[in-house]
Amino acid sequence: MVGLDVILNALISGVLLGGMLALTALGLSIILGVMRLVNLAHGEFLVAGAYAGLFLLQWTGIDPLLGLGLIGIALALIGYPIYRFLLAPLAGKGPEASMMTMFGLSIILQNVFVLLFSADTRAIERGYATVPLDFGPISVPQIYVIGFCISAVLIAAVHVLITRSRFGGDLRASADQPQAAAIIGINVGRVHAITFCLGVACAGIGGTLIGVALSFTPTSGAAYLLTDFALIVLGGLGNVFGTLIGGVVIGMLQSLGGLTLGDGYRDLVALVLFLAVLSLRPQGMLGSRA
Amino acid sequence: MRSRKSHELLSAGHRLSRHLRAVALCSVAVLAATKPAAAADEIVIGASIPLSGPLAGFGSFQKWGYSRAVDEVNKSGGIAIDGKKLLVRLVLRDDKTDPNATAANTETLLSRDKAVALLGSCTPALVNAGALVAERKKVPLVTACNPLEAFKSVRKWTYVWDLFFDEPELAAIPFKALRDLKLETNKKVAIFHDNGPDGQVVGGALWPNMARDAGYEVVENTSFPVDNTQFTSIVAEAKAKGADIVLVDAITPQAVSLRKQIASAGYAPKLLVIEKGAEPVQFAEALGKLADGVVVGGYWDPSFPYPGAKDLAAAFEGETKLTSSQHIADSYAAAQILLDAIASAGSLGPDTINAAIARTDKNYVVGPIKFDENHTAKLPLVMLQWQAGKTPIVWPQERANGKVLFPLP
Repeated sequence: MVGLDVILNALISGVLLGGMLALTALGLSIILGVMRLVNLAHGEFLVAGAYAGLFLLQWTGIDPLLGLGLIGIALALIGYPIYRFLLAPLAGKGPEASMMTMFGLSIILQNVFVLLFSADTRAIERGYATVPLDFGPISVPQIYVIGFCISAVLIAAVHVLITRSRFGGDLRASADQPQAAAIIGINVGRVHAITFCLGVACAGIGGTLIGVALSFTPTSGAAYLLTDFALIVLGGLGNVFGTLIGGVVIGMLQSLGGLTLGDGYRDLVALVLFLAVLSLRPQGMLGSRA
Repeated sequence: MRSRKSHELLSAGHRLSRHLRAVALCSVAVLAATKPAAAADEIVIGASIPLSGPLAGFGSFQKWGYSRAVDEVNKSGGIAIDGKKLLVRLVLRDDKTDPNATAANTETLLSRDKAVALLGSCTPALVNAGALVAERKKVPLVTACNPLEAFKSVRKWTYVWDLFFDEPELAAIPFKALRDLKLETNKKVAIFHDNGPDGQVVGGALWPNMARDAGYEVVENTSFPVDNTQFTSIVAEAKAKGADIVLVDAITPQAVSLRKQIASAGYAPKLLVIEKGAEPVQFAEALGKLADGVVVGGYWDPSFPYPGAKDLAAAFEGETKLTSSQHIADSYAAAQILLDAIASAGSLGPDTINAAIARTDKNYVVGPIKFDENHTAKLPLVMLQWQAGKTPIVWPQERANGKVLFPLP
């Protein structure tokens, strides 16, 4: 019989880890919501962020969490030419072409990672990533708390950007009615470019957090892509705060799955939930673009 | 008019025919140029190994070991076949840690690259996938990196040979070491193992039985998929149950994640054994100081009294500037055994080479090798422990070149 402290530990850890994963899913969500692009290379952008954090630390000594802004900018700069030269020419040619382009890019990026960085297992070694935070009988990994806080702050910042800024207005208009937005003078291509760069930056920053908390290899991205899909379907497509709530819920349910069926069945829980929500409430538990 | 049209049609037909002939000729020329069939003046041996994917850490060592053995033979002038010295060409294909790719690569090595004999991949899932193809095609394959029970459980082999450690011996190491080194624990054991073939054998069957036989209490025994990365629940449970001994069988990415999660949960078992995943140096590189104290079974060390052991490690470290791994030794020895057999056979016939492998009885860099009736050669085991980026032998005492770090820092 599992004790109450074990259940609480697992649930709180699950909530915190889910919140951290929400940041990685946010990039996928806004790109899908605004551009209608299923970004199958999202997992590789996440892994690129983990490598960026690792090499930032190794080459400059800058702590990857302090350098998250730099990592986000670097990933956004990588994202722009991908949008400009691979995705923009496919605008208006249907969703399949761009989706398959990103699928091809994911394979290319995996091979580039192997070529440049070898296929070794990596982790970003930081002392604060391997100490617990104790609250009486409850003990949770400190890095999960840090990751959750960073994730929540960045998700809130993206929410403010989308709801309170002029760019946010353009973005929402481009997502809802791209043709009408273009007629009233919104540069939809520019909005899509910025959205794509923002999504890639979020994936990269999330990847750095994963690199600090767990481990990664050039091919780790695929597993996170699946979890992220489940998470954004649960939270509602393009719903920024829904992504955070989706992350928390999925983290909690994964932990319950881990406790009852074993940690190996965490992903099973997430994917069953993904299919159930798609069947019963395809707009997501919280609806789209709140 | 009609005849003019007919003439035009005929001319067009001729032009088309000429074009088709040209295309056909070009295609034949291109095919002939690209077909990498074995030339008459070389011996091709092949291997499908994990150069990418989660097991790439092992594949890089295998590549080095196989290549070194072949390079040495070529530097000495090659191997005499029917009285003529031929150089050896090693063809390596990346199986991306995917058994399906291993099987496909093995087919390609035989049909396209015309390999006359093969070397193995790493871990049972990959090695056995390629070995079954070799067995079906009746081409000899020498492998290491495949625990013997997992190898023997597949079938009665005719063309495939395995030199590695035996799982029951590996599983017994922690309990023997705890006894011999008089390490005090509360005798509570938690076992975490992946659901791969060797994980099931070691973690699912051998460890629990041996723990009970040695008077230990197994408070938790959990399996997980090979690619699982989150272990918070099982770690919390082991911590709550107060297990002083944690035994893990998992590949490197999972081993790294698990070690971090054990630390970040504030869980401090006294003995942490991580088989398989803690072997490559990447484990220690990814974890830094957190790797210190982690124990892993070992079948080779440069200090072993075998011919060329010290030189092999020095050569690896000199060339790559990396810390050596035991995997360079078994892969080097496997390639040497195959090359010796080809030399002894003096022919490229698969059955002749296979018969020569069966006659192997020689001291190699991993110790004396003589295959038994199951086509296996057992490598003796020691207990290694990560200490400041190195893995000294800490058990058995007669081979130890370092002191055990206990309890886990």
